[in-house]
Amino acid sequence: MELQLGLALPTPNIIKGFDLNNFGFDQIKGFGDKDCVKNKRGFEQAFGNFTEDCKAMPLLLWNGQPNEEEDHKKKSTSSSMDENETEEEDEVVGWPPIKTWRKKLFQQHQPGRVENNIRKVENKEKGRSIYVKVKMEGVAIARKIDIRLYHSYEALTNSLISMFAKHQKCDEDDYTRYTLTYQDKEGDWLIAGDIPWETFVRSVQRLEIVRNSG
Amino acid sequence: MESSELKGGKDSQISDELSELRMESSELKKAKESPISDESNRRSSFPDEVLDRVISLLNSHRDRSSVSLVCKDWYNMERWSRTHIFIGNCYSVSPEIVARRFPKIRSLTLKGKPRFSDFNLVPQNWGADVHAWLVVFAAKYPFLEELRLKRMTISDASLEFLALSFPNFKALSLLSCDGFSTNGLAAIATHCKNLTELDIHENDIDDKGGGWLSCFPESFTSLEVLNFANVTSDINFDALERLIGRCKSMRVLKVNRGISLEQLQRILANAPQLTELGTGSFTQELAQRQYEELESAFNNCKNIHTLSGLWEVKGLYLPALYPVSTRLTFLNLSYAVLQSDELAKLLVHCPQLRRLWVLDTVEDKGLEAVGSNCPLLEELRVFPADPFDEEIVHGVTEAGFVAVSYGCPRLHYVLYFCRQMTNAAVATVVQNCPDFTHFRLCIMTPGQPDYLTNEPMDEAFGAVVKTCTKLQRLSVSGYLTDLTFEYIGRYAKNLETLSVAFAGSSDWGMQCVLGGCPKLRKLEIRDCPFGNAALLSGLEKYESMRSLWMSACNVTMNGCRLLAREMPRLNVEVMKEEGSDDDGRADKVYIYRSIAGQRRDAPSSVLTL
Repeated sequence: MELQLGLALPTPNIIKGFDLNNFGFDQIKGFGDKDCVKNKRGFEQAFGNFTEDCKAMPLLLWNGQPNEEEDHKKKSTSSSMDENETEEEDEVVGWPPIKTWRKKLFQQHQPGRVENNIRKVENKEKGRSIYVKVKMEGVAIARKIDIRLYHSYEALTNSLISMFAKHQKCDEDDYTRYTLTYQDKEGDWLIAGDIPWETFVRSVQRLEIVRNSG
Repeated sequence: MESSELKGGKDSQISDELSELRMESSELKKAKESPISDESNRRSSFPDEVLDRVISLLNSHRDRSSVSLVCKDWYNMERWSRTHIFIGNCYSVSPEIVARRFPKIRSLTLKGKPRFSDFNLVPQNWGADVHAWLVVFAAKYPFLEELRLKRMTISDASLEFLALSFPNFKALSLLSCDGFSTNGLAAIATHCKNLTELDIHENDIDDKGGGWLSCFPESFTSLEVLNFANVTSDINFDALERLIGRCKSMRVLKVNRGISLEQLQRILANAPQLTELGTGSFTQELAQRQYEELESAFNNCKNIHTLSGLWEVKGLYLPALYPVSTRLTFLNLSYAVLQSDELAKLLVHCPQLRRLWVLDTVEDKGLEAVGSNCPLLEELRVFPADPFDEEIVHGVTEAGFVAVSYGCPRLHYVLYFCRQMTNAAVATVVQNCPDFTHFRLCIMTPGQPDYLTNEPMDEAFGAVVKTCTKLQRLSVSGYLTDLTFEYIGRYAKNLETLSVAFAGSSDWGMQCVLGGCPKLRKLEIRDCPFGNAALLSGLEKYESMRSLWMSACNVTMNGCRLLAREMPRLNVEVMKEEGSDDDGRADKVYIYRSIAGQRRDAPSSVLTL
């Protein structure tokens, strides 16, 4: 079945006759922010730490490959963003379906959150999941995988093939026309497969599937 | 007829559910006209006293509805003996109709807005204001004792009116409500001399300060249930301590975040009889002696079976809970940011747990600990701590879900937020736990397929409906084709509530559900490719349902008008967005059966067709 991918900005995205152009909700302004709740009294008093601007965000429908990078980012304008988040940030009103007051709890809970983030980073390196981004040349949307799920290059490449198979051009059904490259801790881009798997897992930062020239 | 068979129970054992309201509109017209004296012409085979006694033992409103349909005698006996009324949709009936039929109501449960209002999908001034109900009830039921509201709007004026109009008033429960401030709570505290329960939970309150709690008079001693976890301003601790001191029957106490550990210890020392406790902030710097006092205070509480709160919990202090944790049956850690090892250490001491709510910061490893330590677990809810943070991927996966299922075969209620899932994992889970009644799985990226096979998640939900024959509530997510809905329509014979988002391929999906699912009562759909053909395929079905919500689908105004024309006993409401063109699309549609006719309090943004 054909899957279509939606990109962030207000590009109309037709998926099986479903026209998104007509989404024009007033409430597309970020979650639970002041504008959404104009008529609520004392909202700022009750949950007053908001400094976010309410930005009008386009509403998007996904019907295809997951892409964790792109959706559902709620960023306050004051938080730092790394370069990976330059793309499209889109939000879907009322999704995930979490009650507003519960979302507030964790926005208020800033100190704990920062602490938790730090802990998360530590955990990342402690032999639990190691997530790396995988991009395929010519495909706008990257994936994120847990490299610890795999125990060999072959397993990794097989999984990547099934993830990205849809994007192969129809006259190229031989996957050996692509090469898997990775960026290591020093920032260099190398061809995957030369070093032992365990060493690779410890040094890989990002993956990219490049087309062989010719 | 055995009275023991009829007594209690939420679900009817007597017969298939009959819609109370469908019965209302047809039978009521016949039955209510005849006064009781005419009934003497047609004696039932039981003496009235016996029948009356038996019927008055019925608690379930569904059982009572069934009983009232048998004949006029039974209808009248039932209506005179009913003391509690449950109204799932406040607009399905009017307070006048209720008062006319049931003369002796002492307790009322009312639900208002559609559930998606919890997620900001319903306009602010949509309605569900309880005031009209209170006015009628003040006249007809001056002896009213209990009011439980969910997703209703209630103003401070209404709260004061309530407090002054019902001298016997005992229990107020507000869940997911709005429209009031702490001043309203002050009115309740001031005037309700017989109050036993004040349960303020998950509301949108205009918080004007903590003075309300000090309004309970010094002579006031009846409070048994006090839940103000949701009311953020600091209250006067002395006032609270004195209140607890004189309310010797207090069994449920859930304080807000402003209460410190030291204050908690003093509370517990004063109220060791508590059965349910919601702590405040669990993070104060405690000296060794203070910590020991806290532990000792917990140790004295031999009856606590439910624990919540634990905001900003410091893992270091969790062992203070060990004395109570062995008896805990419900542990709500959904405000506590815990790591997997912290949870694991705590759960070793919680072998009796039936219900557990956690944040996904505990990760799969934490859920493994759940599986290992809590064999009696029946309900698990995993909430995302940071639903919008994709940069650092964490949380729980299919592995945690599967781990719990192996360790907890009695699991029947799950709410699970995750970022990845597989068909195989869900199939394994339901194989291990076939008794699910409530299965709510939220894969947080809309339209995400099985992350290993890249296939739709159809087979996952197919497995759920095929295996879990008792399933009453289902929320689906992930990339789903019409096949999921074919499965649901065909297999989910007991399904009552279905929530669908970003799923389906065509009208056929929704048609399958409406054509199957004989017990469907609530259907809520958003962002799906279902249009008029699907909407109109459910014409008669909607009268046996409480409500249908469709937003961001392909339904048009004409489709809605046709539905409204064909089905006059349904209210078809369309919510229009400000400034959107009248291009024929119906953005948000809410359809519900009603014997009260169209509502008269709809704001201008809501069109009733």
